[in-house]
Amino acid sequence: MTTTEAPNPLLEGLTLRRRPDPCLLVIFGASGDLTSKKLMPALYSLALRRLLPEKFGIVGAARSEESDDDFRERMKQAVQEHARDPFKDEVWQELAAGMRYVTLDFADDKAEDALAETLTELDNERGTMGNRVYYFAVPPSAIGTLVDEIAERRSSEGWVRLVIEKPFGHDLQSARELNAKLQQSFAENEVYRIDHYLGKETVQNMLALRFANGIFEPIWNRQFIDHVQITVAESIGIEGRAGYYEQAGAIRDIFQNHLLQLVAITAMEPPIDFTADSVRNEKLKVLKSMHTPGPKHVVRGQYGPGFVEGVEVRGYREEEGVAPGSMTETFVAAKLFVDNWRWADTPFYVRMGKRLARRETTIAIQFKRAPHPPFEDASAEELRPNTLLIHVQPNEGVSLAIGAKVPGQGMTIRTVHMDFLYGGTFREGLPEAYERLILDAMLGDATLFTRSDEIEEQWALVDAIVSFWQRDRISFPNYPAGTWGPSASDELIHRDGREWRSH
Amino acid sequence: MAQSLIETAWTGENVSIAQIERELARLRTESSEEGAQPNLRTSVMTHIAWVPPEWEGAAEETLFGMAERHPSRTLLLVPRPDEEDGLDAQVSIRCFPVGDRAICGEVIDLTLRGNRATAPGSIVLPLLISDLPVFCRWRGRPEWESPEFGQLMGIVDRLIVDSTEWVDLPGAYLRLAELFPKVVVSDIAWERTERWRSLLASLWPGIGEVHTIRVHGTPAQAYLLAGWLRSRLGHDIGLELDERARLEGIDLDGEPAPFPPGDPPNASDVLSAQLDRFTRDKIYEDAVRATS
Repeated sequence: MTTTEAPNPLLEGLTLRRRPDPCLLVIFGASGDLTSKKLMPALYSLALRRLLPEKFGIVGAARSEESDDDFRERMKQAVQEHARDPFKDEVWQELAAGMRYVTLDFADDKAEDALAETLTELDNERGTMGNRVYYFAVPPSAIGTLVDEIAERRSSEGWVRLVIEKPFGHDLQSARELNAKLQQSFAENEVYRIDHYLGKETVQNMLALRFANGIFEPIWNRQFIDHVQITVAESIGIEGRAGYYEQAGAIRDIFQNHLLQLVAITAMEPPIDFTADSVRNEKLKVLKSMHTPGPKHVVRGQYGPGFVEGVEVRGYREEEGVAPGSMTETFVAAKLFVDNWRWADTPFYVRMGKRLARRETTIAIQFKRAPHPPFEDASAEELRPNTLLIHVQPNEGVSLAIGAKVPGQGMTIRTVHMDFLYGGTFREGLPEAYERLILDAMLGDATLFTRSDEIEEQWALVDAIVSFWQRDRISFPNYPAGTWGPSASDELIHRDGREWRSH
Repeated sequence: MAQSLIETAWTGENVSIAQIERELARLRTESSEEGAQPNLRTSVMTHIAWVPPEWEGAAEETLFGMAERHPSRTLLLVPRPDEEDGLDAQVSIRCFPVGDRAICGEVIDLTLRGNRATAPGSIVLPLLISDLPVFCRWRGRPEWESPEFGQLMGIVDRLIVDSTEWVDLPGAYLRLAELFPKVVVSDIAWERTERWRSLLASLWPGIGEVHTIRVHGTPAQAYLLAGWLRSRLGHDIGLELDERARLEGIDLDGEPAPFPPGDPPNASDVLSAQLDRFTRDKIYEDAVRATS
C-alpha cells in the first residue's frame, strides 16, 4: 500500500521547472512606472512560460483611486507596450483573473484592513494558503509604516517575503534604521533587497565565467591583471524623475548599489557553493576590504547642454523639477582599491553617469602587457594589452582582445576581438532581470539579493565620499551631455599612466 | 528570426573533403560584407543527421530554425548506396543578424553515393569541430548491424532517435537498450511524453495503485509510458493502445487522466531540448528496458 509519506518515484528525472508555492504578490506602489514598465511585463513573461505558481494572485496597492477593472486594463496596456513577449490574450486572462486593486494610504489603518480583507478573500478564492510576497516599489520613507502594518496582521499560516526596491535608505544611518525596522518583525531570510543588476544574465555569467572555467581563475589576480575598469553609462537624462534624482545623484542612484555589486562580483573569492549566504559572504568580504578613496580619487560631474545621438538636449539644471543652482552630481568616476591578498595595488577604475556618449555597462579586465615583444615592427606601445570585456548591456556577451599577426610579409600585430555574443550562441531571448528576481523571491532563493550587512558596507563607503564633497565647492555643469564626462575623469586615470577604454 | 537568414552556398559533385573545407573557408569570408565587421562563427557542437532519402523533407523541416538555437556545424548525410560511387556536397553558411554583427553556422549536405554510403565514418571524422560534442540524429530505425551505424556510433557522443519512426516496437527497444553502455541515447518520442509524465507524477500517490493504462497515442509513446510506470513504480502495468498520430490522452484503470497544461512542443523544440542534454538519462533507459 502506497503512503503519502513515501517519496514520489515518478518525479525523478523530470526536468520540472522551478515553480513556486501558491502565493499572492502584493505590489505597493502599483501606480508607479516600475510596476507598469518592469514588474507587470515580467509577471506576464513568467505566466507565459508557466513559471508562476498555479495558484496565484496579484494585488496592486497605491494611493490613487482605481477600480479592479481599471487596474487590470492599465496593466494590460503596460504588458502590451513593455513585455518582451508577444501578447497572448489567454495568458493575460488567466493572470488578470487573480488581480485586484486596493486604494491605500500607507498610514491609514482602515485601508490596511481593506487590504488584509482583500488578501483573505483572494486566499480563499485562489487557494494561495496565506503565502505572501510584498513588493515595496515605494520610497524608503513609506516602508517603515507598511512593515509595521504587515507584521501586525501577519497570520500564522503561510510564509511572508518582503522585496525592497532601491534606494534602501539614503545614507548609512537611514539604512541601519531601515534594517533594524525590518529585523524587528522579520528574519533576514524573509527580506529581499533588490538590486536588479544582479538579476541580469550577464552579471550572473561573470560567476560562470570565473568559476566554471579553469583558465581564468589562476590569472584573476594582481599578478596578471593590471587594472579593472567598470563603466555604467546611460545616454538618457533623468526622465522626469527630478524629485528622486535631486536627492540621490549618481552616487546613490548607481554607485551605492549596482556599481559596488559589480565590483564585488568581479573581485570576490570563489564561494564554496551557490547558496545565498555563501555568495553573499564572499561579496561582503570584498566590500569590507575596499578602502575609502581619498578626495583625489573621486571625480563628480554634472551634465550641461549638449548633443546625444545627434539630438540637442538640455543640461541637468534645465531639466524640469531641478533647482537652477543644483549641485547634484550626474557623473561619478573613482579609483577604488580592494585591499586583500588577491587584489592589493590593483586599481578598479569605475565611472557612471547620465547623458554620457552612449548606453553601456561593461566590466573590462585589463591584463598586464606582454613583457618583451620580440617583433621588430611592433613597438611595445602598439601592442595593446589583453583585455577581457564583459558586456553587461547592451550586446550582452564576452570579448577577449588579443594580438594577432596581420597576414602578409613582416610581423605586424593587430588587436582583434574573440567574441562570444549571448544572442549569437543562445538564441533564446534573455529573461529580464525582474523575471528572475521575482521568481527567486517567490521560491525563497535570496542568492541574487543584497543582505543587510552588504547594504551597510556600501553606504559606509558612500557616506565617506559624500563627506569629502561637503567640504569642497565644485563648479557645475562640468561636462557637456553626450560626452564621456568631465576632463577630471580623464585626469584621474591619466595620472596613473592609464586611460579609459576607447569606444 | 528565421526570416533574417542570410545564406551563401556552394554545390559540387564528386568532391573531396579538402574541397569542402576550402569552399567553407571561402564562404565564411564572403558572408561578411566588405567594410563591415566580420561575421562571428559560433559553434556549440557538430550535429550529424543520418537521413535516408525518404526522410530528407522531414529532416530539412526540423532543422529549420535549429541553427539559430544551436549554432553548429551540421552534417546532413544522405546515403544513396545504389548509385555510382561518389560524394556530392552542398555547403552553406547560414548567418543571422545579431546587432551590427551576424552569427554564422555551417550546414554541409553530403550525398554518399555507392560505397561511400557504407563508410560515413571516414567522411565525417575530418569534418568534426574539435573539442565540441558530436550529436547524431538518426532518422528512421537504425540497421543495428550495419557498418555505417557502427562507424557513426564510434564517433558520436550522443545518438538521438525518434522511436515513433519505428515499426517493429516494442522489439526494437531491446536492441536499442544494448547500445546504452556504449553511447548516450535520447529519444524524441520520450521527450514528447514529458509533459504527460509531469502530469502523471502530479497524481502521486494515487497513481501508485494503478495497474492498467490505456494510451491514446503513438505505439512508441504508449510503450515508453508503460515502461516508465513499471520501472518507477516497481510493479507490472498492463498496457492498452488506442493508436493515434500523437499523444491525445491517457486513461488510468479506465479513468481519463486530466490533460496537461500548455501546448505540445513542435518538432524543432523537441530536438532542441535533446541537443541541450549531455548526460545519460537513466530513467529513460530503465523505461526502455521495461517496455516489454
